[in-house]
Amino acid sequence: MAAPYLECEGLSRHFGALAALDGVTMRVESGEIRALIGPNGAGKSTLFNVITGVLAPTAGVVRFKGERLSGLPPHEVCARGLSRTFQITALFSRLSALENVRLAAQARSAQRWRILPGGPATHQTLREGRQWLERLGLSALADTPAGLLSHGDQRLLEVAMALAQRPEVLLLDEPTQGLSVEETARTVDILRALLSGGGLTVLLVEHDMEVVFSLAQHITVLNRGRVIADGATEAVRQDPRVQEAYLGGLA
Amino acid sequence: MLFLISIGLTLIFGIMRIMNFAHGALYMLGAYAGFTVAAWTGSYWLALVLAPLSVAAIGIVLESVALRPLYRREHGAFLLVTFGLALVIGETIRLGWGPDPRRLPIPPALAGSVTILGAPFPTYRLFLAVTGAVVALALWQFLARTRLGLLIRATSQNAEMVHALGVDVQVVRAGVFGLGCGLAALGGVMATPLVSAHLGMGVNVVVDAFVIVIIGGMGSFGGSIVGSLLLGLVQTFGNFYLPDLALAAIYLAMIAVLVLRPRGLFGPEE
Amino acid sequence: MRAAVRALLLVAAVVMPLVLPTFLLTALTEMMILGLFAMSLDLLVGYTGLDSFGHAAVYGFGAYSAALLLLHTGVSLPVAILGGAVFTAAIAVPMAWLCTRATGVAFAMLTLAFAQLLYAVAYKWQSVTGGSDGLAGVPRTAGPLGMSWFTSRIGYYYLAAGCLIAAYVFCRGFVASAVGTTLLAIRDNERKAQALGYNPRAYKILVFVLSAFLGGLAGALYAPFAGFASPDLFFWMLSGQVLIMVVVGGAGTLGGPILGAAFFLALEHYLSVVTDSWALVLGLVFIAVVLFAPQGLWGMVRGRAVP
Repeated sequence: MAAPYLECEGLSRHFGALAALDGVTMRVESGEIRALIGPNGAGKSTLFNVITGVLAPTAGVVRFKGERLSGLPPHEVCARGLSRTFQITALFSRLSALENVRLAAQARSAQRWRILPGGPATHQTLREGRQWLERLGLSALADTPAGLLSHGDQRLLEVAMALAQRPEVLLLDEPTQGLSVEETARTVDILRALLSGGGLTVLLVEHDMEVVFSLAQHITVLNRGRVIADGATEAVRQDPRVQEAYLGGLA
Repeated sequence: MLFLISIGLTLIFGIMRIMNFAHGALYMLGAYAGFTVAAWTGSYWLALVLAPLSVAAIGIVLESVALRPLYRREHGAFLLVTFGLALVIGETIRLGWGPDPRRLPIPPALAGSVTILGAPFPTYRLFLAVTGAVVALALWQFLARTRLGLLIRATSQNAEMVHALGVDVQVVRAGVFGLGCGLAALGGVMATPLVSAHLGMGVNVVVDAFVIVIIGGMGSFGGSIVGSLLLGLVQTFGNFYLPDLALAAIYLAMIAVLVLRPRGLFGPEE
Repeated sequence: MRAAVRALLLVAAVVMPLVLPTFLLTALTEMMILGLFAMSLDLLVGYTGLDSFGHAAVYGFGAYSAALLLLHTGVSLPVAILGGAVFTAAIAVPMAWLCTRATGVAFAMLTLAFAQLLYAVAYKWQSVTGGSDGLAGVPRTAGPLGMSWFTSRIGYYYLAAGCLIAAYVFCRGFVASAVGTTLLAIRDNERKAQALGYNPRAYKILVFVLSAFLGGLAGALYAPFAGFASPDLFFWMLSGQVLIMVVVGGAGTLGGPILGAAFFLALEHYLSVVTDSWALVLGLVFIAVVLFAPQGLWGMVRGRAVP
């Protein structure tokens, strides 16, 4: 049985006449850290939305471990082992940070259908919640309503929530967006520590090239809904087409 | 007459995304105001003009005071506040005019009947139908062709952009709401000679208006027309052939439309 | 502090009938019933963010079910009341399934449509529902096991109060449970909850049916209490009034709606003696609360904001 991997084949998504995705084919191997880059409007978030079931493709398939993923609703995609963060921070703003993470951890357990309070399952998810908050450096904010956290802490909280689900594939949509230099460095350090353990496949949409080069082993470059480059980080970095389309003078 | 009310409701919902629960109460207010104007001046025609205008003005005030703070909040708040307004307006009418119904006679010019297709048809009802059609046409042209109409439609799509262009969005919203209220009031004045202004007329009418707007398409004027016609047909034939089911039928239709085609028969594709 | 308040209220509830004059006892019983009705709606509005404009549907259905059971079968009072609640929950399942297909305004309109549909059915189905006159003379059948004490005025008070207290205790536990906290998440950000792996529709249907059970229980308590059931129990005015009770009392607090029901009844009974326009006052208070104090009376008292 092949190791878990994620595959997009000929994926297209149209909005009226506009092709946000146009025949995207991409294969991610198990344990890989893959960055998805491209200019604004290239279709990166659309790709995430199609993979996670928020949108259905107009053509093509998404497969995970050989099974068809496209066409499933988001909660079922998540149940298969894929967790994501959103480009625009999505949290439960009126609930505390701890409660946010706890809910994320609870989602995959059968105990989530209990209609009576307490019980060993709740203690378990509370424990897990605290653990994740600690690993992301957010313990002090456990009881703060998520809506009141700083932007950087909110983005870290979202990552904590995604990780608390113990996913097999983690999709991060611009995790450092809007963060200060110091917050970005902290986030990258945390992510690197978490990902170095292996066993987690990561798909990372990023605009910050330094983050990309410090975390990713492979890069897929999108432009106008199409894949224009796909390969190991160094190779993509040198690719003249990519440099022209996107990296400009940065590489 | 239900049609005029639905048009106003469609206008308010289409442009401002507010389901105005107070619409029936405003219709009632129009009826009572019309009665009062006619009683003072002795002229139906003056009532026809002044009552809707004054109710429209009240509508503008209401929007500025009660609805403006809510745009920042979720939509549920609108439903709640307009329901509260319906209660308040209803009670104010009861206190101001008393519990007895007020009758307004049909003006002599519109009394009697005309012959259509060989059968007598009440002139006044014809007047109602014609006015409704004229208003609908005028409104449609106004929204489609004039600059102000374009502005109003733009506001419903993207208020921020309109604001960036230097237009005071609040004025537009207040105006649209006032216009919708005025239309409801017009319906009220015109209804008075037929059913007389009585308490509870707002309550009876508002749900029917909702049904029409929803079935026809929330925000579509053509839909309102079709919706009113459909409702009229269902009610007339239903009452004739299957009186027991007629009342339930329109609500079943409303449910069916909401479930199968939430945008209504002619609603906008988003 | 909170526990002390609750204990005090509990004692008061138990002791009241022994000290109050009869007519006040009736009013208090009505408050218990309406409080239960309002609290059931709070599960939808305050905890899940589902604004239902047709909650009268479950109230009326519970009332008619209980009334029909008491009038046409020999079952005893408690059985009929429980039966009313169960039947209401049963009919709520298809209702919930249909209504949860929509969100926002469409959902509110769907609930309204269902309530009006039931109104129309109750109004027209003369043979079963008594048409516009409704069902009168609903008996408080004692039944076996010596439960006749419940049929008396004091006994009925304890029956209604008991139902409310039991429902309250259950709801307190429910909103703190795994399902309850998930509902809060759905209220805050449904898309995120779905992205985490929760199926929002399943949860909405669950809370809808639960809310219908409790609302139906309230209705089923009402019919033998008042002695009749009429189509007005389905009318959208009642849906609006119970929504007012929830919002004015304080949505999302469970205790708030009960307070709101008390407030509503107090206005109706006391203010109507003083002035003719108690409904006007209610409407103005309601608008003021929505605009300026969305956390409701209960929220203001406890200094906690539930926007």
